Amino acid sequence: MRIINNMTCDFCKKNVATVHLIRVQNDSVEKVNICSECARDFSFFSEDDFYKDLSNILSKIFQSDQESIYDSRTSQSLASIDIKKKQVMGCPHCYGEFRSILLPIIKAIHRDTQYRGKIPEAVPRKVKLEKSISDLRKRLKREIFIENFEEAARIRDKIKQLEKNIYE
Amino acid sequence: MNEPGSLTPGAEGSSGSSSQRSSIILSSRSSISRNLSNHKFPSSCSGEEKDQLIGIIKNSSLKAEDLSQLCFLKLSGMTKVQRQVLLSDYQIDEDFISSLSGRAIMIKPRTSIKEDALAIPLCWNDHLKIQCAAPGNTIGHVYEVVGAIEKQFESRLNFSFSKEWGYLTSSPASLGTALEISLLVHLPALAISPDIAEFMKNLSKIGCAVGGYSSSSPEVTGNIFRISSSRTLGKSEEEIVEEMNAICLNIVDEEESARRKLLKKDRLGAKDNVFRSYGLLKYARILSFEEALELLSILRLGLDLGIIGKIRDFDYFEIINMIGDAHVISSFEMGDRATEDEIDLKRAKLIRDSILED
Repeated sequence: MRIINNMTCDFCKKNVATVHLIRVQNDSVEKVNICSECARDFSFFSEDDFYKDLSNILSKIFQSDQESIYDSRTSQSLASIDIKKKQVMGCPHCYGEFRSILLPIIKAIHRDTQYRGKIPEAVPRKVKLEKSISDLRKRLKREIFIENFEEAARIRDKIKQLEKNIYE
Repeated sequence: MNEPGSLTPGAEGSSGSSSQRSSIILSSRSSISRNLSNHKFPSSCSGEEKDQLIGIIKNSSLKAEDLSQLCFLKLSGMTKVQRQVLLSDYQIDEDFISSLSGRAIMIKPRTSIKEDALAIPLCWNDHLKIQCAAPGNTIGHVYEVVGAIEKQFESRLNFSFSKEWGYLTSSPASLGTALEISLLVHLPALAISPDIAEFMKNLSKIGCAVGGYSSSSPEVTGNIFRISSSRTLGKSEEEIVEEMNAICLNIVDEEESARRKLLKKDRLGAKDNVFRSYGLLKYARILSFEEALELLSILRLGLDLGIIGKIRDFDYFEIINMIGDAHVISSFEMGDRATEDEIDLKRAKLIRDSILED
């Protein structure tokens, strides 16, 4: 667990977050930033629960009191309630439109936020390369975070190589 | 990746372990959801818009050789019994027929339950859901069939895709690969053992959803469980397939060990139970679907354990696909007005005829 300053709360998106939970496990890094006000609201969680499993917290919050969280605290309340209530989106563009609302939900469901599957044939080569580069960048960050510099250096070289490919 | 033995019709008896395996893993199913880019998801479409979408998808399939063999059906043009038979034959969740307007399906006609059950429900939660089911542990096979069909559509349609989140689906829960692999498993010994709770807990811990035979109720009948992969983001398709293959082997191991324990601990009790089930199946005149499933499950276990002989070997999965209400009604041409008792009476007879009497 570490403390980082000057971040806004993931839930109310208003106050400065004072509680920061970070968990690194195998492949995934999970992070939750909460302000003291929201943290008080979550006091019904046992301490164990709170630290053991962040995604659990997220999903519990979204299940238990979705409407009120969004209703009182975000400006996009209406659309988000719709998303939360029905658990369905209107069209593919909604994902871009409501990205910030969806991110914690998607994280709670899948315990991950990065796509690692196949890429459709129709997607141009450049986009495919960009995708692998951004995947590598994320891995690089993580390796640096856990101070695995040897692996980080390897990833950095790989990125350089791919970047060269893109512009060739 | 898959066991060729489990695909061969009548594999039972040819080798002990492969027959065991297919009697535990009843069926494998793979499905992927896709949406056309620049179109609304079905839930926010009007009836007219859905019909338009279905038209686009249908037209795109006509030009592809592999797809043109598929049979196109509109839900609203089918009878209730036909719809029920369709759901059970092609292992489609009941929610699909919760609304009829603006929904259609493409299926590959088949003559036997051993063949692939390939179906493409249109305008359900997503524009297309391509799914394929086959008996036994055939995860690798059904995954490939679905992939080949997707390729055919992909060259003709534009699917909505984002670099960050993969294939975009109407529900964030299936976002990403939008791939679901699920297994229908028969666990009669594990279901009565105390280890079952721990087993289920572990499955959900590793991100599997567990349900019963019927998608509409969470209850488990006939010791049949549906175990599905649920996470679609953060893993590649191959990883999901590999994981489910490993889980599949694990399930077989657990059930086999529960069976050994059962024989060691309470052979007489098990034997009693098997013969009681046999008696009921042989002499009962009215059998509900649920009761029949329970009894057949125990009888199948008795055969697997060698507790009971002298009855015809039967395929549990094949039988349960014959004795559902809709199948009984359609195979006896009973019409809409058949009462429950009439159906139960025919069901009891059907079971006696097909497995108990020579």
